[in-house]
Amino acid sequence: MATLELEQVTKVFENGVVAVNGVDLSINEGEFVVLVGPSGCGKTTVLRMVAGLEDVTGGTIRLNGEVANDLSPGRRDVAMVFQNYALYPHLNVHHNIAFSLAVRKVSKAVRDQKVREAAQLLGLAEVLDAKPRQLSGGQRQRVAMGRALVREPAIFLMDEPLSNLDASLRVQMRTEVMAIQRRLGAATMYVTHDQTEAMTMGDRVAVMRAGVLHQFAPPQELYDRPANVFVASFIGSPAMNLFDASVALSGDRVEVALGSQRVSLAAPKHPELESFAGKDVVVGMRPEDLAPGAKRLDVEGDADCEIAADVDLVEALGNEQLVHFAIDAENFRGGRARQPGSEAGVAVASRLSTSAAGKGVARVDPRVRVTAGERVTLGFDGDRLHFFDPLTGLALSREKGARVEVPAL
Amino acid sequence: MTEVATYYEDVAAPPMPVARHGRGAGFWAYLCVALSLAVVFVLPIIWAILRSFQPARLSSLAPQSGDFTHMTLANYRAVSHGLYDVLPNLVNSVIVGLGTALLTTVVATLAGYGLAKFRFRGSGLVFGVILLALMIPFQAVLTPLYLELSDLHLTNNLIGLILVYTTFNLPFGVFVMRNTFQQVPQELVESARVDGAGFMFTLMRVMRPLIVPGLATAAMYAFLYAWTELLQAVTFVQSPDKLTLPARLYEVTTSTYGSINNAYLSAGVVLAMVPCVLLYFALQRYYVQGMMSGAVKG
Repeated sequence: MATLELEQVTKVFENGVVAVNGVDLSINEGEFVVLVGPSGCGKTTVLRMVAGLEDVTGGTIRLNGEVANDLSPGRRDVAMVFQNYALYPHLNVHHNIAFSLAVRKVSKAVRDQKVREAAQLLGLAEVLDAKPRQLSGGQRQRVAMGRALVREPAIFLMDEPLSNLDASLRVQMRTEVMAIQRRLGAATMYVTHDQTEAMTMGDRVAVMRAGVLHQFAPPQELYDRPANVFVASFIGSPAMNLFDASVALSGDRVEVALGSQRVSLAAPKHPELESFAGKDVVVGMRPEDLAPGAKRLDVEGDADCEIAADVDLVEALGNEQLVHFAIDAENFRGGRARQPGSEAGVAVASRLSTSAAGKGVARVDPRVRVTAGERVTLGFDGDRLHFFDPLTGLALSREKGARVEVPAL
Repeated sequence: MTEVATYYEDVAAPPMPVARHGRGAGFWAYLCVALSLAVVFVLPIIWAILRSFQPARLSSLAPQSGDFTHMTLANYRAVSHGLYDVLPNLVNSVIVGLGTALLTTVVATLAGYGLAKFRFRGSGLVFGVILLALMIPFQAVLTPLYLELSDLHLTNNLIGLILVYTTFNLPFGVFVMRNTFQQVPQELVESARVDGAGFMFTLMRVMRPLIVPGLATAAMYAFLYAWTELLQAVTFVQSPDKLTLPARLYEVTTSTYGSINNAYLSAGVVLAMVPCVLLYFALQRYYVQGMMSGAVKG
């Protein structure tokens, strides 16, 4: 029996806005589940419904098997960590952490002991007498966590707890949060808009957009087998390159036409493309799967796995280079999370390019010499190509009979 | 690491030279005007205090006598003993003042909380209607109000007076409390909810320190309104022993065939001032905070 089960949970606000649309989720005991998605996708609303702070319009929420839709927040055995910490300003750290125990009329001795344990775990032992306004952001965050810890709830709910911290502190707190969660072995639902946090922290990650759950899987699966274009472009940074292409079958080879170039793949290895013969398809290539220089030939002979591209811009990051290139295939425009190279000077790149329409980014070893303006050959492994249906955005799955049950764009 | 931190602190904040501006003519002009205005406002109060120590024969002269050399406590004896003793009325004023303050604060807090924290259809309308009552001068409804109190058998009764005063104070009180509750971060309330706290627990333990300025403002306004109010006090209460202090002073001085014993009146006025001044200084910290927070957040 899972600790938390969400069955077709829906939330419609009074003004008619559908914030959450039929979400199915489950969290097992001790599991760290991350809800991730762009702003306004409904992830916080889901969290608040689990906490009991929002009414559920449709569907069922089950906590430890019991239907919890109508239970008041205090009765649900959940503890919540808020984005803005929500510390009581007139109470010192000790009383802030002990608050929930005071509500439940726990004896002073037990309260003090639990506070001491939590403070020890979180490194707050020295500041127990301080008021929140005297603490730094990281310390306040830890007090907020301490407050949730002493509850010893069935499930922890965290609403973007690290987004108010600066970058370096965020990285440090990330590991601390994970260490504490692992130590306590408590089920956790963690909401964030940062896909890096999602990938590093989650046992399973739920990707949401516009109230709909697009994919719920472990991080590596989201990366290797995204269910649709949105998940493919949301997970991974820089975003996956997506191009319009068309498919042609000839004998035992599948020819994917990217603009004026052809990629030839072994047909038996790509059964998903059979039904797309003569039709358009969306090709996805992750920046890290592209390497300049020699073409790659794998054992079964996916020959011609390379494309020629014009380099618009090269960003040297020290550990890698981001090569912004252009080819004459069109970028896929529909339903994606981010445009390629949106983290960097895409505006500059588009001004520099002369002929080609499609933009992409490749992650290149820093020792390879690539300069702007030159034409490079980018090689890749045909197995690492992703294909999507241009109409629905759904991924074309290679497993026979595998049905990807995910909403369209 | 600490050494580096303090180094940055020292470097970032070098000692600032204190700018000395010459005291120009503008400053002295401002000072003169300000002092004059202060004197104009404070003089009547000082005059009244001095007059309360004047012998009765001097105080009733017209024009007013500036002779304050013969100080006497006779007036204070008059207000506290004998036929024209107003001490019971002082007690009445305190009862009415505190009663109004308490009732107004309690009701305004509940109404303000509801209007601030619950989004229900028409909450804006309800608030607007409550504020509209601010614009009704009580003189316009004095007669119907008397008839109503009469039907309820609450005339000549301090409770009736408290109820009337509370009614006219509620619009402002609700306004202040609603603003106060709106400034309480919603997350604090939600956090307490998730921890299992009920309404009263949340109000007392979580919100109380945050709403104290608002409470003090609403309570003080209500108290001062009740304390200084004259027309309603005179209309709704008739027996001399039940009158509030201003009403009794008014009644005493106007029932002596036109001759007003100003010194006696001054003594009564000083007596009336003392609790107000004490209360103001006691609550000043919260009062100013309440008004400022209302001004800033709106």
